[in-house]
Amino acid sequence: MSRAVFSGVSDPSAGRAQRPPAEVRHADELARLRGADDAPRPPGWALSLRAARAFIVGDGALGISRKFVGDPSLIDRALVSLATSRGLLLVGEPGTAKSLLSELLAAAVSGDSTLTVQGGAATTEDQIKYSWNYALLVAEGPTERSLVPAPLLRGMAQGRTVRFEEITRCPLEVQDCLLSPLSDRVMAVPELPGDAGMVFARDGFNIIATANTRDRGVNDMSSALKRRFNFETVFPIADLDTELALVESEATELLRRSGVTAPPRRDVLEVLVTTFRELRTGRTSRGDEMERLSSVMSTAEAVSVAHAVGLRGWFLRGTAGDAADLVSCLAGTAAKDSPEDLAKLRRYLEQHTAWRGGEQWRALRDARRELPGG
Amino acid sequence: MSLTVLGVRHHSPACARLVGETIAALRPAFVLIEGPADMNHRIGELLLGHELPVAIFTSYADDHRRHGSWAPFCAYSPEWVALTAGHAAGAELRFIDLPAWHEAFADRSNRYADAEQRYAEAVERLRTAFGVDNTDALWDHLVEMEPGEGLTERLTAYFDLIRGEAAAGPSDTAREAYMAGWLRAAVRAAGDRPVVAVVGGFHRPALLRLAADPAPAGSATPGLAAPAASGPVAPPSAPAASDASGAVGWPAVPAPPAGASGGSYLVPYSFRRLDAFAGYQSGMPSPEYYQRLWADGPAEAARYLVTAVAGRLRGRGQPVSTADLIAARTSAEALALLRGHRHPARVDVLDGLAAALINEALDVPLPWSVRGTITAGQHPAVVEMTAALSGDRVGRLHPGTPLPPLVHAATAELERLGLDRDGEHRLDLLEPADRERSRALHRLRVLDVPGHVRTAGPATGADPVLTETWTVRTDANRLVALIEAGGYGPTLGSAATARIGERVDEAGNRLGQLADALFDAALCGVTELAGDLPARLERGVAAGTDLAELGRVLAVTLALWRHDRLLGTAGSDLLAAVVVGATRRILWLAEGWHGAALPADPHRIRAVVAVRDAVRHAGVVGVERTPAVAVAERIAADRAAPPDLRGAFFGLARDLTGDDADPAPAVRGAFLGGTAGDWLAGLFAVARESVLEPGGILAVLDELVRGLGAEDFLVALPALRQAFEFFPPRERETIADRLLELRGLRGSARDLLRTTVPPGLVAAGLALDEAVEQRLTRAGLIPGVCGD
Repeated sequence: MSRAVFSGVSDPSAGRAQRPPAEVRHADELARLRGADDAPRPPGWALSLRAARAFIVGDGALGISRKFVGDPSLIDRALVSLATSRGLLLVGEPGTAKSLLSELLAAAVSGDSTLTVQGGAATTEDQIKYSWNYALLVAEGPTERSLVPAPLLRGMAQGRTVRFEEITRCPLEVQDCLLSPLSDRVMAVPELPGDAGMVFARDGFNIIATANTRDRGVNDMSSALKRRFNFETVFPIADLDTELALVESEATELLRRSGVTAPPRRDVLEVLVTTFRELRTGRTSRGDEMERLSSVMSTAEAVSVAHAVGLRGWFLRGTAGDAADLVSCLAGTAAKDSPEDLAKLRRYLEQHTAWRGGEQWRALRDARRELPGG
Repeated sequence: MSLTVLGVRHHSPACARLVGETIAALRPAFVLIEGPADMNHRIGELLLGHELPVAIFTSYADDHRRHGSWAPFCAYSPEWVALTAGHAAGAELRFIDLPAWHEAFADRSNRYADAEQRYAEAVERLRTAFGVDNTDALWDHLVEMEPGEGLTERLTAYFDLIRGEAAAGPSDTAREAYMAGWLRAAVRAAGDRPVVAVVGGFHRPALLRLAADPAPAGSATPGLAAPAASGPVAPPSAPAASDASGAVGWPAVPAPPAGASGGSYLVPYSFRRLDAFAGYQSGMPSPEYYQRLWADGPAEAARYLVTAVAGRLRGRGQPVSTADLIAARTSAEALALLRGHRHPARVDVLDGLAAALINEALDVPLPWSVRGTITAGQHPAVVEMTAALSGDRVGRLHPGTPLPPLVHAATAELERLGLDRDGEHRLDLLEPADRERSRALHRLRVLDVPGHVRTAGPATGADPVLTETWTVRTDANRLVALIEAGGYGPTLGSAATARIGERVDEAGNRLGQLADALFDAALCGVTELAGDLPARLERGVAAGTDLAELGRVLAVTLALWRHDRLLGTAGSDLLAAVVVGATRRILWLAEGWHGAALPADPHRIRAVVAVRDAVRHAGVVGVERTPAVAVAERIAADRAAPPDLRGAFFGLARDLTGDDADPAPAVRGAFLGGTAGDWLAGLFAVARESVLEPGGILAVLDELVRGLGAEDFLVALPALRQAFEFFPPRERETIADRLLELRGLRGSARDLLRTTVPPGLVAAGLALDEAVEQRLTRAGLIPGVCGD
C-alpha cells in the first residue's frame, strides 16, 4: 500500500499523526498475537478467529488490552460473519463505538483498516469502486495504469476488509453497487479489455459497513442489500460501572493531553454518567419513566462533556470541575439548539435530583439556574 | 470417615449426572440434600412418581411478615437425582437445610436460586477472563459443554474461587452452620459407610470446613429464629435405625414461633414459572433446553433448538428459508469452534439463529446476552427463541399425593359459608356475613377456580351497587384448579393475595390492568400485600402515560383509601402506594404538557383536583407538599402550558401554600390571550373558594368580563359557562348576589340564574345582534364603535 507524501503539504518537523490507524497504534500487540497464533486461519486472514477475538476483547496472558467495551458475544458473531460469505453491518445509536469496532475488526482480520469509504449524501460510485487518472486516460486510453482504484476495488483485488462508514447516508442507488461484489464476489470494469475487465475478489475480502439508527435509519437500504449483510446491533454500555470507568479513563487522558493536571472528580463523573444514562434511556435509576432527550446522549458525548467540565474547572478556577460546570456543559451537549430538550433537561434537574442523596446531586440541583434562560 | 460433599449448581444437568454417578458408585448410607428439613418426615411424598416439574411450596405468616417460597425440582435437578438415585441405592434420604419459613430465607422466593448472584465480583472477573457475556454462558462454557472428565475438580475450583472472595452474609452463615450439623451427625451415624451430601457449590467450602470441625453435637445453631427453647421442638426427621439410640445427635428441626401459621406441601410446577424468577431469585434459565440436554445430549439439544425456533416462527407466518437455517447452522458451528465447544452450546445456537434470522436493527439487547427476564420491545424472532428455550412443560402430581392445604381450607370455608351447594346466592354487601361470602367467592374467581360466576354486582370502585348475585355450580375441573392454586398459598385469602400480586407484576405500567387488579384486591378483602409489592405497584403507576387515566385512578384510589370501610380498604398500604406514585407521576406529566391553544379538558383538570386532595390528605403516607407546590408554581407561570392546567395549578399553588396575595394580576394575565374561560375552568375546579371568599377575584372578574368585546365574549362564552359549572347552584346564587351588590343593583339573585330560554339561543341572539350592528356600522347608519 502506498502512503503518499505530499511534499508541498507535509512538513517533517510537524508533530506525529493525531490518530494513526489501529494497526499502527497496536502494532506490537498484533505482532505478539501473530507470533503466538497457532489456530487455523480463514483463507486470506491475517489472524485466526481466536487471535482476532483476543485482539479486541483483550487477553491478559498475552498482554493484549481490551479495546472494545461490550458483549464479547457480539465480537464472536461479527468475526464469524466476516468469515462467511455475508458482509457485516454494524447498526446502532451514534456514539456507540461502531466505527472503532469496524476499525479494530479490519485491523485484526486484514492487518489494515485504511480501506475506508465514508458514506455521505455526496458519495458517488467512483469513490467506492474506481475512477481514472484523466491525463493518462487521454494519453493511453483505459489501461490498468490509468485506472485509479478506490477502496472497494483495492480490497477485492488484495483480499482485504473494506470499511464502509455510514452506509445509509449514501443514496440508495449508490449503496446498491455493493450487491455484486457481495454476492458474486466480482466487479466488472467494462472499460478495460480482456481479462482485466473482471476483478475477482481474493480470499480475505469482505465488507464491514456501519449505519446509524438515529440519522436516517437502515430503512433506506434495499432489501436485496440487507439480505447480503448480517446485522449486528451495537448497544450503549449496559452497566453503569463499566461506562463510568470508561468515561473516567478517557476523560483523564483527554484532560492530561489538554494540560490539566487535576484529575476529574469521581463523584462528579458519577453524577454525569448517571444523568447521561437516564436521559438516554428515559428511565431513572429507581425506575421512574421520563422523556428521553432527542439529542444523542452517548458515552462519547459523556466523555466530551467530562473533558469540557474538567477544562472549565481548571482554566477558570484552577480546580477540578464541579456540578455547576457540569450543568453549563450539559446545556451545550444535551440540549444543543433544541428548546424542548432544554426544557426537558430543566425538568429533569428540578424533579429528579431532589430525591437522591449525595453532595453532588444537591449541587447539581442548586446549579440548575446555570441553564440558559434559567 | 468418608464424607463426599458434592457442590452443585441447582438445575444443572452436568451436576445432576455427576450426582447420579457418584451415588451409584459409592452406595452411601446417607444422602443429604440441600432442602427443607421440615419435609423430612414426608420425603416419601416426593418419590410417589410425579410428572416433573413439581415444587415444595412453603408459606408462612406471623404478625410481622408473610412469606411464600418454592423449592422447584425438574428431572435434571441435582437434588432430584440425589433423591431418586439415593432411593434406588437404598440410602437414607435427608433434607438438611433450614425450613423455607426461616428468617434466613426471608428475602428468597426460590430456594434453588444461584447463591453466587449475591457475590458477583469473582464471577465478574471469571466472565471477563473467559470473554463471555454472563454467568450462564460462562457456566455452559466451563461445565455443561465439557465432558465429564475432571468435572469435579473444575467445579471445586470454580466454587472455591467464588467463595474464596466472598464473606458470606448472615443468612448463608446460619444455613451453613445448620447443614454442617447434619453432616456431622450423618457421618457419626454411618459408621464406616460413605455419606454423600448434595449442596449448592457456594456452600461446599464452608461445609467441608465446618463438618471437619469437631463441634459438640447439638450445639446451639447461630441465627435461628426459633431456638429449641422458644417453641415446641419438632421430632428429628424420620426415625432411622441408627439414630434411635439418640447418641447421633441429629440437629433439631426448628419449629415456627408460636402464633405463626404456615406449612410446606407439594404443588405442580411449570417450566415457565421456573424460568420467570429474576434478579437474586434466578437460577439457570431455559429449562426446556436443559431438559433436552439432560435427556438427549448437547448435539440433540442444539438441533431441537433450531427446529423448534424455525417451527414456531413458521407457525406464526414469519418466513424462515432453508438458506436461513443453513446460515444459522453454519454460524452456530463456527461460533462453537471459535469458543472451543465440541458441540454448539446454548448461546452458540442462539447467536447463530440471531445472525441468520434478524436483518434489522434491534431495539433492545439480545436477552441471553444480558441476564434477566425478557424485556419489552424484543424482535419477534427473539421472542420465539426464548419461548422455545423456556418450554411449556407443566408438572402433575401423583394422585396419591396429599392435597395442598388450600383444597381443604377452601372446601371447609365454603361449607362454613354455606356456599358448597349448587344454587344462586344474592349477597347484600352491607351485611358482614354476606360480605364474607362475597370475599370468598371473589377469591375463588381471582384464582380461576371454575364453578362460581357472578351475574351482577359493582363493576368499578366508584359503582354505588351494594348487592351481588352469584351462581354456584359443580365443575369437574374445580379440584384440579384448586390444587394448581395451592401453589399460591394455604388459604383462600393468602392464595388470592399472592395471585393478585402476580397480576400487578404482569400489568407493568398498563393502568387499566393495574386498576382491575386493585379493584379485585378490594373485592377480595386483600388490603396488605407482602414484600415489595406496594413498591412495584408504585413503580407501575409511576410509568403511566395518560394524565386523564392517572387522574381517574388517583381519585378512585384516594377515595377508597380514605373512606371505604365497606370494602375495608381505608388506610391500606397498597392503595397508599398507588396514591403516592400517581400523584408524583401526574405532576411530572402535567409539567411536560405543552399547548397554549388547547381547549379545557375536564378530565385533565380532574387529575389536578385529585392531586390537590392527595396532597391535602395523604401527607402521612409520603405525598410531599413542597415539590407539588414547586411544580404548581412553575406550570402556572409557563406560557406554553395549556390554559386550563395553568389555571388549575395556579389554584393548587394558592390552595397549598395558603398564599393570599392579590390574584388579580394573574387573572388579568389570563384574559390577555383570549383563553380566559379555559383558565378559569382550571382555577374553579381546584380552588373555587377564591371566588367566593370576601375580597376574592369576583370584582376583577366582573371588570374583565365587562371589558370583553362582543365577539371576544362570544368566543369565551362556552368556556366561561364550563368554568362556572364547577359551582354548585347555591354557590352560583351567592356569586349572583355579590354581583348585584357590586354593581349596586337590587333584585333576586335566583331570578338572575333562572333563564327561560336555552343559553345557546341567547348566545345566538347576541351573535345576531352583533352582526346586525356591524352591518349597520359599515353602512354608516349608526356611529361605529370606534367613534363611540
